Amino acid sequence: MKKIKGILITLIVIYVATAFLGENFLGGYNQGKLLERTGLYGLLGIGVAFVIITGGIDLSIGSVVCLVGCGVPWLVMKQDWSPGAAVLMAIVVSMCIGLWHGFLITKLKLQPFVVTLCSLLIYRGATRGLAEDQSQGFGGEYEAFRSWGTEAIAVTSKFGIPYPFVILIVVAAIAWVFLNKTIWGRYLFALGNNEEAARLSGINTDRMVILSYVICSMLAALGGLLFILNGNSAQPSDFGNFYELYAIAAAVLGGCSLRGGEGTIVGVVIGTAVMQLLKNMINLVDWLKSHMEFLIVGVVLLVAVIADEMIKQRVRRQR
Amino acid sequence: MGEPFLEVRKITKRFPGVVALSGVDLRVNVGEVVALIGENGAGKSTLMKILAGVQPADEGALLVDGKVVRFAHVQDAQKAGIALIHQELNLADNLTVAANMFLGREPGKFGWIDQRAIEREAKRVLEMVGLEVSPDTLLSELTLGKQQLVEIAKALSTEAKVIIMDEPTSSLSMNESERLFEVIRDLRENGVSVIYISHRLGEVKELADRVVVFRDGENAGMLERDEVDHDAMVRMMVGRDVSQFYQRTEHELGEVALSVRGLRTVEHPSNELGFEVRAGEVVGVAGLVGAGRSEMLAALFGARPALSGEVSVGGREGLPRSPREALERGLALVPEDRKGQGVILDMAVKENMSLASLRHAARGPFVNVSKEEELVAEMTSALSVKTPGSWQLVRFLSGGNQQKIVLAKWLALKPKVLLLDEPTRGIDIGAKEEIYLLMERFASEGMAILFVSSEMEEIMGMADRTLVMHEGRITGELAREDFSEEAIMELATGGNINKAE
Amino acid sequence: MEICQGLGIFTLGGKLSHEIEFVGCPRERSGVFLLVPSRVAGFDSRLMKNFLACTVALGAFAFSGCGEKDGGKASYALVTTGVASFWDICKKGGEDAGEELGVEVEVLMPSSGDDQRSKLEDLLAKGVDGISVAAIDPVNQAGLYDEVAEKSILITMDTDAPTSKRQVYVGMDNYDAGWMCGELVKEAIPEGGEVVLFIGRLEQDNAKRRRQGVIDCLLDRGKDPSRFDAPGQSQIGEKYTVLATLTDQFDRAKGKANVEDMLTKHEGVAAMVGLFAYNPPLILEALKQAGRIGEVKVVGFDEDEVTLQAIKDGTVHGTVVQDPYEYGNRSIRVLHALANGDTSVIPESKIIDIPARQIRKDNLEAFWADLNSKLGK
Repeated sequence: MKKIKGILITLIVIYVATAFLGENFLGGYNQGKLLERTGLYGLLGIGVAFVIITGGIDLSIGSVVCLVGCGVPWLVMKQDWSPGAAVLMAIVVSMCIGLWHGFLITKLKLQPFVVTLCSLLIYRGATRGLAEDQSQGFGGEYEAFRSWGTEAIAVTSKFGIPYPFVILIVVAAIAWVFLNKTIWGRYLFALGNNEEAARLSGINTDRMVILSYVICSMLAALGGLLFILNGNSAQPSDFGNFYELYAIAAAVLGGCSLRGGEGTIVGVVIGTAVMQLLKNMINLVDWLKSHMEFLIVGVVLLVAVIADEMIKQRVRRQR
Repeated sequence: MGEPFLEVRKITKRFPGVVALSGVDLRVNVGEVVALIGENGAGKSTLMKILAGVQPADEGALLVDGKVVRFAHVQDAQKAGIALIHQELNLADNLTVAANMFLGREPGKFGWIDQRAIEREAKRVLEMVGLEVSPDTLLSELTLGKQQLVEIAKALSTEAKVIIMDEPTSSLSMNESERLFEVIRDLRENGVSVIYISHRLGEVKELADRVVVFRDGENAGMLERDEVDHDAMVRMMVGRDVSQFYQRTEHELGEVALSVRGLRTVEHPSNELGFEVRAGEVVGVAGLVGAGRSEMLAALFGARPALSGEVSVGGREGLPRSPREALERGLALVPEDRKGQGVILDMAVKENMSLASLRHAARGPFVNVSKEEELVAEMTSALSVKTPGSWQLVRFLSGGNQQKIVLAKWLALKPKVLLLDEPTRGIDIGAKEEIYLLMERFASEGMAILFVSSEMEEIMGMADRTLVMHEGRITGELAREDFSEEAIMELATGGNINKAE
Repeated sequence: MEICQGLGIFTLGGKLSHEIEFVGCPRERSGVFLLVPSRVAGFDSRLMKNFLACTVALGAFAFSGCGEKDGGKASYALVTTGVASFWDICKKGGEDAGEELGVEVEVLMPSSGDDQRSKLEDLLAKGVDGISVAAIDPVNQAGLYDEVAEKSILITMDTDAPTSKRQVYVGMDNYDAGWMCGELVKEAIPEGGEVVLFIGRLEQDNAKRRRQGVIDCLLDRGKDPSRFDAPGQSQIGEKYTVLATLTDQFDRAKGKANVEDMLTKHEGVAAMVGLFAYNPPLILEALKQAGRIGEVKVVGFDEDEVTLQAIKDGTVHGTVVQDPYEYGNRSIRVLHALANGDTSVIPESKIIDIPARQIRKDNLEAFWADLNSKLGK
């Protein structure tokens, strides 16, 4: 709770401010859309949080989003696969991607930054080749399949809880239990803090690191799938561009330390919500201009991180 | 002895909830080596930080050359002629010796560095400390001992009148330490004063003109050169008599618990190591730094798997390929680098203690919280770990308590053989004594203990038997009744082999 | 020096054997192939020296440039502003022309303005006989285009760079096309109302002009392509109000979120206009999820399949299409004529106009069938 105090306050402040300044912000439609976006981006954030907790980084998330976001409709529409088979393929491919990253990082001792930077280029390039640079989507078909990304559990006539958000909550709950209640979660934190000490304690650290990259890539794939189901349009050259940075930003906002060994799932979800809320605010508040988006998001992120660091330092001094 | 150069009068320093120093005095004369000793938490490092301008005192006065001074910054202290050499060296590996010495105060104009002036000055000062290396040697090419001398040279080049050395020999070999002592004596001849902080009482006895003892943030006493002896120092530090520092009792040895044959480590592939340790036996491994002792333990534990060899523990054969394999066989290792390899500083006491045994205290994949609590409570009281609670981050515990946590981590697994690498390095007298008592207790309960130590007294006090290593080989084995400093040193320096040449 | 750099690039680009291919390479046309120094900045100096030696021998040949891969075939390149189905149609047009004329056609689709620069530089290094480029930033990149014009034959398509030394522009006027789009909006909501525009980015000239055409038409102003209204400001006319123009920098999720946020902010919005090919499908998707399809009118631009299908279904009122097939096709024909010294293909205005068309439900079928046949579907 202590770790997410700062980001929670940030969320509430921006929420209340937008409620006063923005038009129709509190309407059911807008609230639903905010949850939907938090769901979509939050999955990526949770994925990268696992990697960050081990002290690593994954820059290939956006490209995995692109690979799955373009690959699944390509398989279904152009190759006549069934949606189920295409999803299974996405699961297998993303698992292999994670295993591959983990293998290069633990066994060949390559730096995560370098490995995933190359991957970022490779998967996007491969997707562009595969889809021949064509926009991919489901046209007007496969409504039932697509409903996973578009439908909501109706609460009132105007407001429903979107499926992507429900999926996020389920994933977040599993991730939370994994990190906080299982021995593997304990091992991840331990090796993120001090890999050598963890290894000498008899933990198979390589296996845990590989696992974290597998989780990250698979959640990126799940995110990519939901993005395409939701938006129905993906262009290989730009789909998912920079999403890894949004994910990393959300994770850091949520209390993950890039040094490793620290992070909370609830924080990541709130961090994602803050990012999406900011973008929504810029569109809804009249005097905020859309070209100021990066400026505003960047400044708020920085302020939040500074505030968080100051709180931490004060806690440290009090000991 | 000369004039007082540096005087500390009634200095007090408070931190939230603790009084680190309460009205301490210290006087350092020109050309004097003053040893400052005390247990961890006695206030030594706080005083050093005040002297070096890292933090200000709350009360009291600091006098340099009879004038009251106030240090707001490290630079102020430097200008007054005080230099601090940290235990962990503050040098950049990737720079040259000369660049390191002048880092941050390079002579020259407009951002251009006057390389010639640096080299000239560096050469002069390096000669003073008797270090025969070219100023443009990369620091990373020097041994730790030589790097230490570079630090001293750096201090001298700032025209320091007082050099404070914090545990300077903690990572030096015996030869390197000897070299350092010579340099310190030279400095004294040249009118430079040294404040020497160390846990190694042998060194203190050898070097110090005067010994000042701190305890719990206060002056506990002072010993002039002719009064300095081991027991007196320990008594002042601990505040009571420690007559039975090393307590060993006779007990029956059991079966052979660890048997090693033909072990070849990565570092010394041409040498084969072989020995046995029996249940209940405490075997010391002596030798100089670089003799391959830590490497041997790492190979036994699978941390850096050996090239070949046979290791049998409790009847199970084969070479451990990973720490995990070693643990399954009943081996456990307390590594030398406690903070880097032993504990996880930013995790709780509880989480550290249960890390190795978590698997056994789990319900399926889930941590069994009540079982974990039980274990932690048991270990905390068995090893009398001093912590405000099991939630406390290990970072905030003393070195001795951190070491006990490493031990606790293993005890839950009930190892047959305990490997200890420098088990008491950097921890204070009181905690040392507790560690020794624990070793004795484990042995009496039937555990086989193999421990590496660079402290002669520790080896002679604790071991039933000692293996001595030199350049990757076991050069000899001494039974307890044959222990003597001379015998061990002779084997550690290559012994008979050297004589024959 | 220049020669040497030229060789350097060749080698960096691929095999050392290029250097031998040089000698035997027949040439049709001579021209100095200057190479841009920045590309060789990090070049290994030892390699450089070796090549200096080679250069002495090969100088004469290298100087006249030699890039064509197969024997005497002329080669031309089309360089687009980005990657889109729009450009695939253009590519098809260019390739068809190439096949007919018996020349090599290469189509490069850069991912950004910087990428376009390096792709152009690479083409120069490689040596092509002519380039048709869709200008990303006509004002600031004019220098680059001039350089290309000096070293090869340069024409522009789709987006013009009127201040550069390009020989001719093949395309339509985006301002006029925007105006046509505005007319469609007026048809869709004849009683007037609030309109929001969505577009990928406003940095490029065609986007600016297209958007301004829509606004000026809706506000019943006189035609003035040089006008520019700030994107965040509402433009209020007698019947129509253009509330805002939102950009998404090609991020689809962001593009959709923009539509959703506008539905939230302006509940009474009457029409939405998607000015880049992918915008109309995103508008439709958001409207569908909000259950407001049909209630908010949609007008599109370009011929994304989803947009065309929606016109058929009646959920999009209409779209304005360019003729990218003709851009590509005509570009190659013009380049080939120019390379053979025929300057009669250049009209006095230096603009070869390929007009845009409005597509509504009534003329959709014919257009779609023609499009599919061009794409070989």
